Amino acid sequence: MADKKHESTKPVKRSIDIYALTWRMPIIIWQFLFFVGPLIFMIAMSFFLVENYRMVEAFEMKNWVKMLGRNYFWDSYFYTLGLASAATVLATVLAFPASYALAFKMSETARRWAVFFLIIPFFTSYLVRTFSWYVILAESGVINAILSYVNLGPYTMLNTKFGTMVGYMTLTLPLVIILQTLSLSQIDRNLIGAAHNLGCGRIRTVFTVIVPLAKVGLIIGAVFCFILSFGDFVSPYYLGGSKPPTLPIMIIDTTKSGQQWPRAAVVAVMMMVTLFSVAFAAIALAYRKRSQ
Amino acid sequence: MSDPLVELDNVVKRFGEFTAVQPMNLEIHKGEFLALMGSSGCGKTTTLRMLAGLEKPSEGEVRLAGRVMNDVSASDRDTPMVWQTLALFPFLNVRENVEFGLKMRGMAASERRAKALDWLDRLGIGEFAERDVALLSGGQRQRVALARALVTEPEILLLDEPLSALDAHLVIRMQGVLTKLQRELGITFVYVTHSQSEAFAMADRVVIMSNGVVEQVGAPRDIYRAPANRFVAEFVGRNNILTGKIKSSSQKEIKVETSAGNFTVPKGKGTTATTGDQLSFVIAADLVSLTGSKPKTENAVACEVISEEFVGSVVTLYLEAPDGTEFKAQVQQRDLDKVNAEAGKTLWVNWATKHAHVLPEARA
Repeated sequence: MADKKHESTKPVKRSIDIYALTWRMPIIIWQFLFFVGPLIFMIAMSFFLVENYRMVEAFEMKNWVKMLGRNYFWDSYFYTLGLASAATVLATVLAFPASYALAFKMSETARRWAVFFLIIPFFTSYLVRTFSWYVILAESGVINAILSYVNLGPYTMLNTKFGTMVGYMTLTLPLVIILQTLSLSQIDRNLIGAAHNLGCGRIRTVFTVIVPLAKVGLIIGAVFCFILSFGDFVSPYYLGGSKPPTLPIMIIDTTKSGQQWPRAAVVAVMMMVTLFSVAFAAIALAYRKRSQ
Repeated sequence: MSDPLVELDNVVKRFGEFTAVQPMNLEIHKGEFLALMGSSGCGKTTTLRMLAGLEKPSEGEVRLAGRVMNDVSASDRDTPMVWQTLALFPFLNVRENVEFGLKMRGMAASERRAKALDWLDRLGIGEFAERDVALLSGGQRQRVALARALVTEPEILLLDEPLSALDAHLVIRMQGVLTKLQRELGITFVYVTHSQSEAFAMADRVVIMSNGVVEQVGAPRDIYRAPANRFVAEFVGRNNILTGKIKSSSQKEIKVETSAGNFTVPKGKGTTATTGDQLSFVIAADLVSLTGSKPKTENAVACEVISEEFVGSVVTLYLEAPDGTEFKAQVQQRDLDKVNAEAGKTLWVNWATKHAHVLPEARA
């Protein structure tokens, strides 16, 4: 606060810095062309009408009333929200021990290799990785074959929420581990030593010192997991069996049935609003200043 | 003296191939201010960390109040430490930082709050209790770290170069705070530093280490006046070291021939002096006198003044003998007024025979 007051007493030079602007321009143009533009168009489209299977420019609330007035939209909305939230909690909890081990129990070299191996999955198509789960999770697949030796099963894992969750983890877990590992390895070891020195045992140190110190990284990891899972079409469709449909599946279904792009746009706008709210809330939580 | 509070019994610490601490024996007494001093990598911090339980000795025993501590984890010891980086928790405010140790001991919230505030008041930073640690100045943060370490009322406080990040004027002030605190509390301070001025200003006893070996343990004055070996004499830095051949020796004195001239040094009881042998001796820089003309004493060398260095009222003069031997002389500013000490002038460096201290023969 004091700084601002100080600045305002100085004369402010109000000329446009051409040099800085030149370097900023590409990213500004890119953002407008590929993000803001389509977003505005999508919002506009949600007010269009469809007549004789053709989209007509209009400004009507019909699509919104129709979609938001239906239970099946809200069922799908909360189902997707629930799945994505569960995936976020699961990924964060599953990733933490791995990230902890990578950050604190391994040498710098081993950690670099581990991060490299965590990047490798991104080399292959997510769709390919998802289909490989078929072989493993099917009723005649690898897991059930092994379980049959101990007279268990067969269990249905495909076309269930479990299947969806396996897909979500395939998509998000490597990224969450990388983000968590990077933030955990930034922690000043002296702070951990200081905690031990002041009578804080090893396990307790994890929760009272390490988690608060890595808070930003843990939250960013969780946000990425939520964003990716919430918008993912592949896992709930191919591994989860598409019933009940998640919002991305609903978008596909809506566009296919009678060219209802405007109604699909309503779903998409609702998803964007949700993602923005969650992301902003999470960032606010991550960077929240302690109350004085 | 009473039983030692801390005993290091043939303690060795290795990190892989590297031996950080060679077999080390040390006793630290109750209420003592002990400084571990040496340049970086000498093993002083490793020794401190072994006392805190943050490193486990590879060999030997660390005993605290008679109890073997080798297998006691850091969190089960009451050996709080003030860290070089201070290591204050950034996600806690000043008061919460100070309360941390009490919270870990399961003290009730109201009680630990009162204690923390009491300690913050005592160190003169009570008004900042609810502040964020990042908003404090270096000196204030220093006090928070001290309060956090002392709030559990330990018998011993470990300090790892706590003043190294402070401005020079703050260092002097914090030295005062620390020595006063230590005297008032009557607890043991083990203070790691690379700074001779800090160690000598505060400590009752100083341990000088190099390459994991204890070179000398003693009161600052003894280390300064009578260094145990050449390493200590050079490390302490304000010494003139001369080496030469023994020309002759009487019952009380030895005559030595050096490249800078012939000098007389006192002969210690029971020491032998074989003519022709090599001998080194030191004269503390503050025991050196300077005169404009040749003095009557036997130990005098005409030197050229090279440069001078002021630290308050004390001046350190750097001089050079005709053969290239360097001399350092520490004199009061007002004494210097009597002689012309401009660079390039010639002054006679001289000292009384009794002030020369013969160094034991260098170890292999």
